[in-house]
Amino acid sequence: MAKILIVEDDEKLRNELEIFLMKNGYEVGSLSKFDNTVKDILKISPSLILLDINLPFLDGEFVLKEIRKVSDVPIIMVTSRENEIDELLSLNYGADDYVTKPFNIQILLAKIATVLKRVNKGDISYNKIDCGNFTLNISKSVIEKDDKVIDLTKNELKILHFLVQKRGHIVSRDEIMEYLWDSSNFIDDNTLTVNVTRLRNKLEDINLKDIIETKRGQGYILK
Amino acid sequence: MKLFDFLKQKIITIFLISFALATIEIFLLVYDIPMLFRLYIPISILIVYFVGIMIEYLRKKYFYNAVLNHLNELDKKFLLAEVIDDSNFIEGKILKSVLEETDKSMLEHVNIYKRLQEDYKDYIELWIHEIKLPIATSKMIIENNKSEVTKSIDEELDKIDNYTEQALFYARSNTVEKDYAIKKNSLEEIVDLAIKKNKNILISNRVKIELNHLDHIVYTDSKWCSFILSQIIQNSVKYSKGDEKTIQFYSRENKDNVILYIEDKGIGIKESEIVRVFDKGFTGSNGRVSDKKSTGIGLYLCKKLCEKLGLAIHISSEYNKYTIVEIVFPKGSYTQM
Repeated sequence: MAKILIVEDDEKLRNELEIFLMKNGYEVGSLSKFDNTVKDILKISPSLILLDINLPFLDGEFVLKEIRKVSDVPIIMVTSRENEIDELLSLNYGADDYVTKPFNIQILLAKIATVLKRVNKGDISYNKIDCGNFTLNISKSVIEKDDKVIDLTKNELKILHFLVQKRGHIVSRDEIMEYLWDSSNFIDDNTLTVNVTRLRNKLEDINLKDIIETKRGQGYILK
Repeated sequence: MKLFDFLKQKIITIFLISFALATIEIFLLVYDIPMLFRLYIPISILIVYFVGIMIEYLRKKYFYNAVLNHLNELDKKFLLAEVIDDSNFIEGKILKSVLEETDKSMLEHVNIYKRLQEDYKDYIELWIHEIKLPIATSKMIIENNKSEVTKSIDEELDKIDNYTEQALFYARSNTVEKDYAIKKNSLEEIVDLAIKKNKNILISNRVKIELNHLDHIVYTDSKWCSFILSQIIQNSVKYSKGDEKTIQFYSRENKDNVILYIEDKGIGIKESEIVRVFDKGFTGSNGRVSDKKSTGIGLYLCKKLCEKLGLAIHISSEYNKYTIVEIVFPKGSYTQM
């Protein structure tokens, strides 16, 4: 499991981020003291670092430069200064990506996933999700069940992937739309209905009828 | 400087000299001096005097005309002292040094306000930087505790975030210094960023997004630009009507520019008000409808930021039918570095 280190000096935000990332299946660590930031970070050896630019004692850009001298660990910079110059500087110093506060939660997750994927190239299992009665192969955009393979469109894959992540919980239509919008598929209400119907039909072909249940007025739930 | 005006200034000396010459003439008469001398003395004095004041007149005329010409040509009048020539008569010298002194004092005065404004802008930037942290934390708390109630709070937080952003760009728009970076950007990505930023209000208002022909390269600051687009999107949502709400984004490439169009089928703008929509504080009849609450800042700020970035912004509309905002990205040779 990927271990994410949160380097953020605001305790409350740090705790909420920890909870959020843990919910999303990451192992999470964090620093609470910042007098020896660079050494502390390297001791933990995480798979990815979320590094706040504005830290006590040493600022994040300095920490970034120091880490880059000895390690290639993926780093996503976090800042509340929305300005292109800072972004360019961070990327020049060797950050892998850059997010601004307040974060768009899904985009933050997407960026973490992308950066990790880039680093863990060749790790095929990472792109396959075992969902019990079927397997979702994200890199091939197909559902695999026994020896049957069903192709999914981009939107269908996204919708199913999202439902799988929230399995057992009711997911509202707005949430699904927001998730799709975050990956630049600006679909509207009707398109969502059409996509869900098609997805259900495809699931029916492999005897997974009614696996997506409609909760009237609330949304969908994947059983 | 007219000769007549100049001579008027000399009226007292002319009068005194005439008086002196008259008395001399009386003395010469009393002592019975020959006619030739009696004429020679006053005439020679008069000629010498008039030659003297003519030289003075020409010299002053030359100097002051030059000063007035410079004054007319300068668009920053206070720079006059820097451009006027040194003169070789005393009033000219005094004038120059007086102007220099007043300029210096004015500059000091202006600098005080400049510093105050810089200071204030720095404070605003710092404050916004600080306020983003509690907003970010609140949003994370909401994310970890999702419910109908927190969703509604989330929407309000988005509004707070938008208003702080507006304040930040307002502060930036008022300074002379450049705090943007012109880069090569894909128009598609800029639009994408702006839509994502406003996805909450767009989705909850069931607004349909249509994107067409956006695969162009523009040279601009993507952050500034997506802020401008955000303002326009928020306006479109605010002034939408009916159930079929749609915002269309499309662009066209011309020989020397790329134009981005943002079109909605909302309530539009009355013809009589359209020329004023970019004015600061202008709310119009749309903005005064009770549930809209326009501040009259959004479009004003868009215009100002566009001017700073070297973009043009136009708006066209038909009341109750549509509104189209055009943003023109120039394609001049200086942008292709």
